[in-house]
Amino acid sequence: MLCDNCKHNEATVLIKEIRNGKSTSINLCAECARLKEQQGELGALGFNLAEVLFDLGKLTKALKPGTRKPDFEIPREVAEAVCPKCGWTAEKFRQHAGQLGCPECYRTFAPLVEGAVARIQRGLVHLGKRPSGGGAGGAVAMRLELERLQRELKELIKREEYEAAAVTRDRIAALKRELDAGGADGEGETR
Amino acid sequence: MMGAKIEELFRNPAGILSSEAPGGDIAVSSRVRLARNPEGRLFPRRASDDERREFVGEVTAALPELKHLGGASALVFDPEQLDSIDREVLLERYLASREFNARPEGALLAVRPDERVSLMVNEDDALRIQCLRPGLQLDEAWEEASAFDDELGSVFKYAFDERLGFLTADPTNVGTGMRASVMLHLPGLVLTGQIASAVAAVNKLNIAVRGLYGEGSENLGNMYQVSNQSTLGESEKQIIARLGAVVSQLVEREENTRKLLMERDQHSMLDVIGRSYGVLKHSHRLSSEEALKCLSGVRLGVDMRLFKSLDVERINTIFMAISPAHLQKRAGKELDQSERDVCRAAFCREHLN
Repeated sequence: MLCDNCKHNEATVLIKEIRNGKSTSINLCAECARLKEQQGELGALGFNLAEVLFDLGKLTKALKPGTRKPDFEIPREVAEAVCPKCGWTAEKFRQHAGQLGCPECYRTFAPLVEGAVARIQRGLVHLGKRPSGGGAGGAVAMRLELERLQRELKELIKREEYEAAAVTRDRIAALKRELDAGGADGEGETR
Repeated sequence: MMGAKIEELFRNPAGILSSEAPGGDIAVSSRVRLARNPEGRLFPRRASDDERREFVGEVTAALPELKHLGGASALVFDPEQLDSIDREVLLERYLASREFNARPEGALLAVRPDERVSLMVNEDDALRIQCLRPGLQLDEAWEEASAFDDELGSVFKYAFDERLGFLTADPTNVGTGMRASVMLHLPGLVLTGQIASAVAAVNKLNIAVRGLYGEGSENLGNMYQVSNQSTLGESEKQIIARLGAVVSQLVEREENTRKLLMERDQHSMLDVIGRSYGVLKHSHRLSSEEALKCLSGVRLGVDMRLFKSLDVERINTIFMAISPAHLQKRAGKELDQSERDVCRAAFCREHLN
């Protein structure tokens, strides 16, 4: 396949973007890809990691009055929240490629962080080691997460969002397996 | 605070160098990094220089107690006291990151003299534990990182959430805070054009593959770093088992490919290796790019037991020694690119016997 840019060299780099289920792709030769990268033109494909991961593109739009309602809206109180501990804002979160200001930010921007975490992580609850001397509280956290997921499942089924419900159902099953295996202390590799 | 001198690192071989590395021909090195932050403090990027310095002071006071860093024998670097070449040396030895070098104010790096355990203070997270091992030793690196983590956790109370685990500046690290990685030498997969499909397949498993040199497209030296992408929702051991399984598959595929290449096209294979050796042995000007490419070829020959007097440790040593900052450190002065190419060629001629 020839490079979409120079239409001369063999394309070796495929850049593919999937957003809202729609996929766009462009084939480039190594030389054109390098040039485009240097000139920052790959960004012209609309690829900003923080925005993709955290849906902040939509956040920005949500902040502008009069624009069309996005399908995933971040609550206004989060979009305008300021961390009481460090003064971080959702906008700074976006500018700094998805970095937070302090541990407290996880609470301040909880809906934002949770959305991001769900997109990039394999689960929503920590199953690894705990601070030494912290005691065995892992199972408690897992039970709380299990209850939350069960509520979420009911809600999704009620709204007839079956695809999302299937994901949640799998998470519940995985969590139950972990709990049965007595996991949460980093020893949960039994299947 | 008096910092250590970079030269002290050169007394011992670097952390990834060893002749007795398990699986050390295709898997070059293994690394486990843990991100931690003390409770009640702002993340380093958000903290003021004064706050960062205050925390560096707390870590410095605790250092003599930290056995995993070698206690009093730990090499402690204050990046503000280092020049740019020294900082680049740390990067080339995998002890510091670009992010760390970009903000030297109120930061600290402590390294055990064998370089297998180190601690970056005030990188993106306040504490970044690193364990580096030669060859394929993910479990060993994790065990040691975890033990060091326990030791450090007895000094600092970590920011930890019951549900989200260890809280990190970047939510992509939250939970275990662990990034485990293995560096693989995959010339067979590259030569036969299988690498793109292998990378794509691995990515689907939530495992990241990056070329070691050059951002994105071009990879030099056929070196690939394979690491976990997700840090939450699995225990550290599960993550490492998953990563280990992917690494084993890549290693197996590389081995099979090499065998196949030797069976089907022995002369082309030997030609690549022989020419690589010839260039390294007889050049008087060597760019980084050409040197890494040829080292990959010679390394392949070493793996196939074609060189009696060369071993993987020697290749690894040359690999590091010919990187730009190491060359300049060795010369004792700044060198421009053309001068580096001459020094690089001289080093290779001298050390390939």
